[in-house]
Amino acid sequence: MRSIVVGVSLFAALLVTAALTLALGDLGVPASRLTSILWADLGPQEAFVLERLRGPRLAVAATAGAGLGVSGALFQAVTRNPLGSPDVIGLAAGASAGAAAFGLMWTGVLPLPVGALLGAIVAMALLYLGTGQGFSSPTRMIIVGIGINAMALAFVQWIITRTTREQATAIAAYINGSTASRSWDDVRLMAAALVVLLPMALVLSRRLRIVEMGDDLADALGARADRTRFWSVILAICAATAAVTVVGPVAFVALTAPQIARRLTRSPGPNVATAALTGALVLCLADMVAQHGPIDAQLPVGIFTAAVGGVYLGYLLITEFRRVSI
Amino acid sequence: MATDIRPGSAPPAASDDGRTGSAVPATRRPVSGVAVGLLLAVGLLVLSVMVSLAVGSKALSLGEVWTALTHPDDSYARTVMESRIPRTILGVVAGASLAVAGALIQGITRNPLGDPGLLGVNAGAAAAVVTGTAFLGLGTAGVWAAIPGAFVAVAVVYVLGSGRRGVTPLRLVLAGAVINAVLTAYIQAVSLTHPSAFDNYRFWVVGSLAGRGHDVIIAVLPVVVAGMVLALLLIPGLNVLALGDETARALGASTAVIRVGGAAAATLLCAAATAACGPIAFIGLAVPHMVRAVTGSDHRWLLPYCAVLGPVLLLTADIVGRVLVRPGELMVGVVTAFLGAPILMLSVRRLKGRM
Repeated sequence: MRSIVVGVSLFAALLVTAALTLALGDLGVPASRLTSILWADLGPQEAFVLERLRGPRLAVAATAGAGLGVSGALFQAVTRNPLGSPDVIGLAAGASAGAAAFGLMWTGVLPLPVGALLGAIVAMALLYLGTGQGFSSPTRMIIVGIGINAMALAFVQWIITRTTREQATAIAAYINGSTASRSWDDVRLMAAALVVLLPMALVLSRRLRIVEMGDDLADALGARADRTRFWSVILAICAATAAVTVVGPVAFVALTAPQIARRLTRSPGPNVATAALTGALVLCLADMVAQHGPIDAQLPVGIFTAAVGGVYLGYLLITEFRRVSI
Repeated sequence: MATDIRPGSAPPAASDDGRTGSAVPATRRPVSGVAVGLLLAVGLLVLSVMVSLAVGSKALSLGEVWTALTHPDDSYARTVMESRIPRTILGVVAGASLAVAGALIQGITRNPLGDPGLLGVNAGAAAAVVTGTAFLGLGTAGVWAAIPGAFVAVAVVYVLGSGRRGVTPLRLVLAGAVINAVLTAYIQAVSLTHPSAFDNYRFWVVGSLAGRGHDVIIAVLPVVVAGMVLALLLIPGLNVLALGDETARALGASTAVIRVGGAAAATLLCAAATAACGPIAFIGLAVPHMVRAVTGSDHRWLLPYCAVLGPVLLLTADIVGRVLVRPGELMVGVVTAFLGAPILMLSVRRLKGRM
């Protein structure tokens, strides 16, 4: 019951954030006019703002945020580690390295998002080979992920020292994760990924909840623990890779969204749906601040997710440390 | 403090969050063997110092280095070698500092994967450097802001991580992750809006021993010495802490004092190295990890081994960076990442069973 109320509230908050994102600023479409999207009687300027500028950006933020939330929820359930997230296993860093390589070193060979996708895939292949047990041992994945992270970041930093300041600044903005100037193609890609992955994640999450009670019990109940874990990791990686391809390695959404969701619903298990909504809300909020916040410079949204998500997680931790002892 | 407790013979203590205190089962090892090992390690250090003086865009033979060291004259070989002395000394100082700092952090968090970066040292240092160059107009001198910056970050992590019942390892790690994220966001925001700060930052953050003079070494040396002395004083306390918080308290040790002391010493050491060379990954993580396989978790051996083998690994990485892309060179921070990650993966593969 509580999780339904939480889900509805999150969805309402998401709608409010979306309306504000579209309405604020010089080019904003007033909230009262937003409903006219349905009847398609927009003026040319409003149509341009909604269809080209802010519409795709908002949709990308919402879908990619949801993807990251799902990914983080599955990953944290599998690793039983509150810090487990696709950032930790080196996926985001791999994507950064790919983007930097094709954006600065071999320019013009591949577009940046494809480079990021390639980097993420290479990082995951390294992870698979590095653990010696594939994706079946979460703890090993985190340890090997630290190594992949370090290599990828060192590579990025090295490339950045070899280029001019302007190029380096441009790529640094992308590497932080950005929702600026995205098209409906990006939205379609991410939405398609969600349509495929979300139902599978929901099915798996019921099994994961049983697995959390212990491997033996889960095996006895028919929710084969090893297989459930393996497919959860695969799903988590797919969801995160799709999101990273679309918005770049946005920090901290996959890590904080499941944490916030779990504390809001107060229910065990991965909370996949709530985490997806929370992820979407976090990324949309951050994107709203990035677009309409008090800072003049257009900073990439990843900076705000890290700041907002980090501060909120810190607040949660402090209150929790006060109450209980972990 | 109970110095008669020998953690070398104690079973690894399970920490509050269920992780074990050390990756290697601690068994009593013959002291003479460990001592001989330390001598071998010192020999290795001397060798790596000589090679570091010999290798570069103009290579010398080890014999030439030896002659130039023992019979100072104004020969060509000596001039070439002298240009490599600052980076070699810096490699020794920074390598020892980072490795000992790593061992201290792993000791106080009882996490075999502990790394000074975990408590926000690197992020704090980097944030201070960026602030110094962007807002205070410190220019290249901004790197000295790294030391106070690191201290502030670690202090905040500590305050965040302490609840009603004091500091626990898990809380420290979680709080460190939060501070890391927030500071990284700040660093990115400032460096993307202040091009000159970004320019300074990107060359510092990659981590390098090259281009630092004697003045840099003299400036960081007092900080390093202070950190080392503090670390030495803490050895008995760290050994007691390795038995677990409950046992340590029962033995009359103040876990809070040991933790604060350990964090302070690690921060001093790591901040000094980071200010001088920029953040260098993996020395603090990998060296204590490898050393523990030889010494067990007895800090009386662990810390000296780290102080000797840390420089060996850092100098080796620096030498590799000089050889790989001659006549240019790879920054040592890049090399340590690419050397350390495979080592980490191999050590994961060696772990038995599923974890």
